[in-house]
Amino acid sequence: MGRPFRDLSERALAFWLLLPAFALLGLVAVYPVVKLFVTSLQDLHLAYGTQGTFVGLENYRRLLEDGRFLNALRVTLLLTLVTVPGAALVGLGLALLANLPFTLKWPVRLGLLLPWAMPLVFAGLIFRWFFESDYGIVNDILRRLGLSPLYWLTDPNLAFWAISATIVWKTSSFVALVLLAGLQTIPREYYEAAQVDGAAPGQIFFRITLPLLLPSLLVALIFRTITALQTFDIPFAMTGGGPGTATETLAMYIRTQSVENLNFGYGSALAVALFVLCMAVTVVYLRYLERSEEA
Amino acid sequence: MRAARAWRRVGIWLAGALLVVNGLFPALWILFTSLKTEAELTRLPITYWPQEPTLANYERAFREAPLLRYFLNSLVVAAGSTALCVAVSAMAAYALARLRLAYAGAILLALVALAMFPPATLLVSLYQIFTGLGLRNTYLGLILPHAALSLPVAVLVLYSFFKTIPRDLEAAALVDGCTRVGALRYVILPLSGPGVFTASLLAFVNSWDEFLLALTLAPAREMRTLPVGITLYQGEYLFPWPLISAALVVAMVPVALVIAVFQERIVAGLTQGALKG
Repeated sequence: MGRPFRDLSERALAFWLLLPAFALLGLVAVYPVVKLFVTSLQDLHLAYGTQGTFVGLENYRRLLEDGRFLNALRVTLLLTLVTVPGAALVGLGLALLANLPFTLKWPVRLGLLLPWAMPLVFAGLIFRWFFESDYGIVNDILRRLGLSPLYWLTDPNLAFWAISATIVWKTSSFVALVLLAGLQTIPREYYEAAQVDGAAPGQIFFRITLPLLLPSLLVALIFRTITALQTFDIPFAMTGGGPGTATETLAMYIRTQSVENLNFGYGSALAVALFVLCMAVTVVYLRYLERSEEA
Repeated sequence: MRAARAWRRVGIWLAGALLVVNGLFPALWILFTSLKTEAELTRLPITYWPQEPTLANYERAFREAPLLRYFLNSLVVAAGSTALCVAVSAMAAYALARLRLAYAGAILLALVALAMFPPATLLVSLYQIFTGLGLRNTYLGLILPHAALSLPVAVLVLYSFFKTIPRDLEAAALVDGCTRVGALRYVILPLSGPGVFTASLLAFVNSWDEFLLALTLAPAREMRTLPVGITLYQGEYLFPWPLISAALVVAMVPVALVIAVFQERIVAGLTQGALKG
């Protein structure tokens, strides 16, 4: 250790230890967000020059008239409404099954960890191949059952459901891992006492398991909601937002407007809309974290 | 009674099979796909087991596309961002968990909140800032945001880990004439291996999997990471599946090995990172 650090007071030491983390976040989080809000008040289109002109709330006014934005907002909210409860239910089921007394635990745990550990786009690519209209296994099964194959990724409605199914598959394992940890903290005596008292399995689940699991479930739900609002990877890999813009999410539209069309002024206003949406949910999470910190 | 027990065993086996199939089938299916010839892949009805298994798709994947380069890019970015993230997080977590600090709880929340700013919104500004700094299509340009991405998990894991190290150890060192920094160097650092390791695993997987920032900040062909490179095959080939499937297997094997070996660490870290310290 260098000499200058020898006689640091505790406060000074804490300052120097915290500085790098805040410097990093300053560069890649705080400054970008400040710039985002500033740029959202400008007309800045790189195709027409690099100097932005201040236009007040013009970009935000445009949001309300932009059918493509409203559609992307609708798709994002619908995906959130479908996949968050979907992943919670499937995840709860997986967690309850995984909590059974297996003699061989590692294959089960691997089954939960592999979907969690693979990139979202990989899940998207694999399921795109599942749903491929000619050579995909989903249509193969339909044909074997004597049904006619469906155009999963080129029909707007089916594409939405194919994407939702993929997201639920991919994200339910994270929910299951969090819930499984919650299940394992429930004292065994509770169940033994309930059994002695002759409680039915349904009663045990709704009166003991579910209430005690609620904190873990809440955390998993909040996390899932924050990420669901930012959905990008899986629709990008499966449909590219198509057919047309039928499955385009807010995150995809933001990227198209800014990075592809170089319309940073309007792209920033779009991003601010998503930012506000996500931070509202994040605040709920932080409240929870704060409370459990005090407990 | 014996019959009931037998049924219970059958049920447990079925539950296990369901979990394993649900988790592993998609990866296995892509493995089978990668072993089939293009002719077999476009034959109806489709085959399940590869009829003439071949490694030709792997050879193609490495020859026709810079898959090895993508792999190295992913490795450099993931290793670099993990090192940066864990170093920075460990310092912050130690200060918050062990030093007498006003508002430690608020600072912890601020760190987590800032690092949870949505990447999908940050990318608009990061694209402009990094273009100005000449960081687009560089390793550093991905290492910095990826390090920030894993900061909340790493801080929370390390924070709860430091809390478990008995205070007496440090106190004893201080009494023996060690400085605060010395206590950190000689007492805490040697003990922090497990916490650092868990945080590193999670940060590495996060960076290895990240797509949106990598696509936006490093889209140049020779700078793509694995998720970006493989996903963009779609636009580059008419029937990309032989190539995609082989590349996916190559990309997934390292992560699958890591999680198979370190299952328990990862599960513990995940729940600590999401729940509380």
